[in-house]
Amino acid sequence: MFAVGDSYKKEFCVSEAVYKGFINIFNDNNPLHTNDEFALSHGFKGKVMHGNILNGFLSYFIGEYLSTKDVIIHKQDIQFKNPVYLNDTVFFEANVSEVYTSVNAVEFKFQFKSKDLLVLAKGKIQIGILS
Amino acid sequence: MEKIDVLKKVNAVFIDVLDNEDIVLTYETTADDVEDWDSLNHIQLVVAIEKLFKTRFTSQEIQSWKNVGEMLDCIISKGV
Repeated sequence: MFAVGDSYKKEFCVSEAVYKGFINIFNDNNPLHTNDEFALSHGFKGKVMHGNILNGFLSYFIGEYLSTKDVIIHKQDIQFKNPVYLNDTVFFEANVSEVYTSVNAVEFKFQFKSKDLLVLAKGKIQIGILS
Repeated sequence: MEKIDVLKKVNAVFIDVLDNEDIVLTYETTADDVEDWDSLNHIQLVVAIEKLFKTRFTSQEIQSWKNVGEMLDCIISKGV
């Protein structure tokens, strides 16, 4: 089902709906995420989108985008490298880096990049294939 | 590699994965003897051991292990 080197790509947009939905659900109203002036005063170009919105896209990738629904996330690691701003399109790439047939587990290395190919976030995610 | 040396390396994996500095494995240790060695952590332990020794097990091999000693024998059989 999965082989080392298998590659996946998907675009996501951090739209107003995504941004507001995240705040409505999780209530993280830190001014870095909600106040342009505050964010500008700290050297950003505007309010910075919550990094964990990218984790939501990652969840979609595993839960909906793969060719099977028989999956469960075991663990994940993500490093945020550059800020994402409202209405940015992010370009997601994932590659199968390890397959552990003994325990039906698969590891992906992934990156989110900007349209300028700047790495926004990168990491690894390990999933299990449900029997 | 000698079995005792493999045991030391595997012990370190267990300490790391299960986040428990007190773990002291013996050849006779089973999952019942180690707190948090449940089915989900078992997956992480196997993955970490496969990574460490750059080897792969089969599901049949894993299911055949009755204790840590048999796990070590399997690792050694891979030529590590």
